[in-house]
Amino acid sequence: MFILKTTFHRPLAILIGSPFLICAIALLSILYGTKDISTITVWNSIFYFDANNIDHQIIRTSRIPRTLAVILVGAFLAVAGAVMQGITRNYLASPSLMGVNDGSAFVITLAIVFFPGLPNYQMILLSMLGSCIGAGLVFGFGSLIRNGLSPVRLAIIGTVIGTFLSSIATAVAMYYQVSQTISSWYNTKVHTVDLNMLFLSIPFGLVGLLLAIMSARAITISSLGEDIAVGLGQKTKVIRFISMVSVVCLTGTAVALVGKIAFVGLVIPHITRFIVGVDYRHIIPCSLFLGALFLSLCDLVSRYINFPYETPIGVVTALIGVPFFLFLIRKFGGENRG
Amino acid sequence: MTVVEVLKTILRIGSNENFDLVIFEFRLPRIIIAGLVGIGLGIAGVVLQGITRNGLADPGILGINAGAGAAVVIFMFFFQVQLINADITSWLSILMMPLFGFVGGTVAATLIFLFAMKNRHLDMQRLILTGIAINSGFGALTMYISLKMNEKDYESAAVWMAGSIYNANWIFIVSMLPWILILGFYLYKKAYLLDYFQLEESNITSLGIDVEGEKIKLLLASVGLVSACVSVSGSIGFIGLMAPHIAKQLVGIRHQYVLPVSALIGAALLIVADFIGKTVFAPSELAVGIIVSIIGIPYFLYLLVKAKD
Repeated sequence: MFILKTTFHRPLAILIGSPFLICAIALLSILYGTKDISTITVWNSIFYFDANNIDHQIIRTSRIPRTLAVILVGAFLAVAGAVMQGITRNYLASPSLMGVNDGSAFVITLAIVFFPGLPNYQMILLSMLGSCIGAGLVFGFGSLIRNGLSPVRLAIIGTVIGTFLSSIATAVAMYYQVSQTISSWYNTKVHTVDLNMLFLSIPFGLVGLLLAIMSARAITISSLGEDIAVGLGQKTKVIRFISMVSVVCLTGTAVALVGKIAFVGLVIPHITRFIVGVDYRHIIPCSLFLGALFLSLCDLVSRYINFPYETPIGVVTALIGVPFFLFLIRKFGGENRG
Repeated sequence: MTVVEVLKTILRIGSNENFDLVIFEFRLPRIIIAGLVGIGLGIAGVVLQGITRNGLADPGILGINAGAGAAVVIFMFFFQVQLINADITSWLSILMMPLFGFVGGTVAATLIFLFAMKNRHLDMQRLILTGIAINSGFGALTMYISLKMNEKDYESAAVWMAGSIYNANWIFIVSMLPWILILGFYLYKKAYLLDYFQLEESNITSLGIDVEGEKIKLLLASVGLVSACVSVSGSIGFIGLMAPHIAKQLVGIRHQYVLPVSALIGAALLIVADFIGKTVFAPSELAVGIIVSIIGIPYFLYLLVKAKD
């Protein structure tokens, strides 16, 4: 009875509670920012929009898209991290450590340099292609190297390949003298979210989320280990493929929207697992909400730690993520834990 | 300029003011700095790999660069006045920079070893992972502080952080030379210890060597070297990884030979990388740190593939 309680009440509490919290933070994030805008103006800008009013423009073109983008990206990255950790049984798996983010940003850089002015949806597709390439490189090298798929080795390979891709991107950008444009892709750019891009990214992200939620049961089985999964009659290859597609959709859209953000995909699934247990049917939906909550909170904080200047959101996630990362390494070392 | 003109200028035969300016104020300091930084990183790489018994150790990967970098940026932030003001004070503050870098590098090294040490045993992979974490932590800190700077300071900090040496001048050389000379010589004298460290710990103790104490001294000395390099050139990774390996291929595993050879190889690598950076993309220049990582990372992966454990 007790076990039932802990496994059912906590996910339910998260699923019911966090949407309210997310809404509250979203509201705060629209209301407060560098420019002081009164609540009534915000209300008016939504319901009685006046194109000549600068405050209305700020709310509509900057604050609302930004808030939505941060919520979406937080959810995407957290779910992608959860899926990766479950499938690879690797406690350090996450889009930023495994070169997936870097791959997207790399391909986007090349696209900007060689085919400027691509439409937004092609950017998203390219970004997804890039996450495929990044993940492919990292896991490819991982399987080349003995013991290379162990959590620690894979994280090292991921980081190094990520650095490599970003170095090449920087070199290319410098050569064609577009480094300013490029750096905005590499350093997160939540403040300049494009509304069209936002709407375009929703279907892609939803596909990823749906795939992740649908394969949640299979991921739980995979997380028990390959032998058990095969013994239980699971088609492990199919599941790996589906979850890879899901990860690629999620991180590709996230990077196309706001650029690279580290540590969300690492930290949130762990916290979620800590709260709701090891069943991915609970972990995946809960990390979706907790990820959205976490990143929108980080965004709000990032506007205030150096007021009136904004701090890049990556600094805030790193400040929280790095100690957590160190804690994980210290606790688990080289073991496989998914 | 032709080779003859360069030679004439350096040998002071029929000097020409323009050539003097180009050679002595721009090109020569840059080459010397590249050489010195290469020497420092090459030596530090050998020592770190020797102490940790880990072929993948490198000051950049371990996060010592990032720590020293963060400290230097903090220094730039708080002492901005001195950097802009009259000559004497700016001299003083440039001479102070390696010292601050040393503090930051030591903090980073301490953190890394605290986290990577379990039951008095250094775990190789945990060491590198901790380094990655420390790197991004200090990176975030550096970013945060550099954004708080005023525009002028930010500009100089940004150029410096990218791992560049194109603002080289003689003051920088003076500020780093004593560190390289003294610590380089000290480490060379101690290089024989690194041979012993490759043995089992209990064996070394029975040889009458204070293992922990010597390790800490060697570590501090190499952190000092790295900090001097970082304070001049920003963070340049992978030199400290590549140079020792190439040196070991050339002269075997005796550290007394490996250390000086690695220093020279480091210098050569960095001078070549700097040359590539400034010629291939001319007229725009590429930070030397980026060139080094593009060359160094495939090498790192190659070492990983080859590693036998």
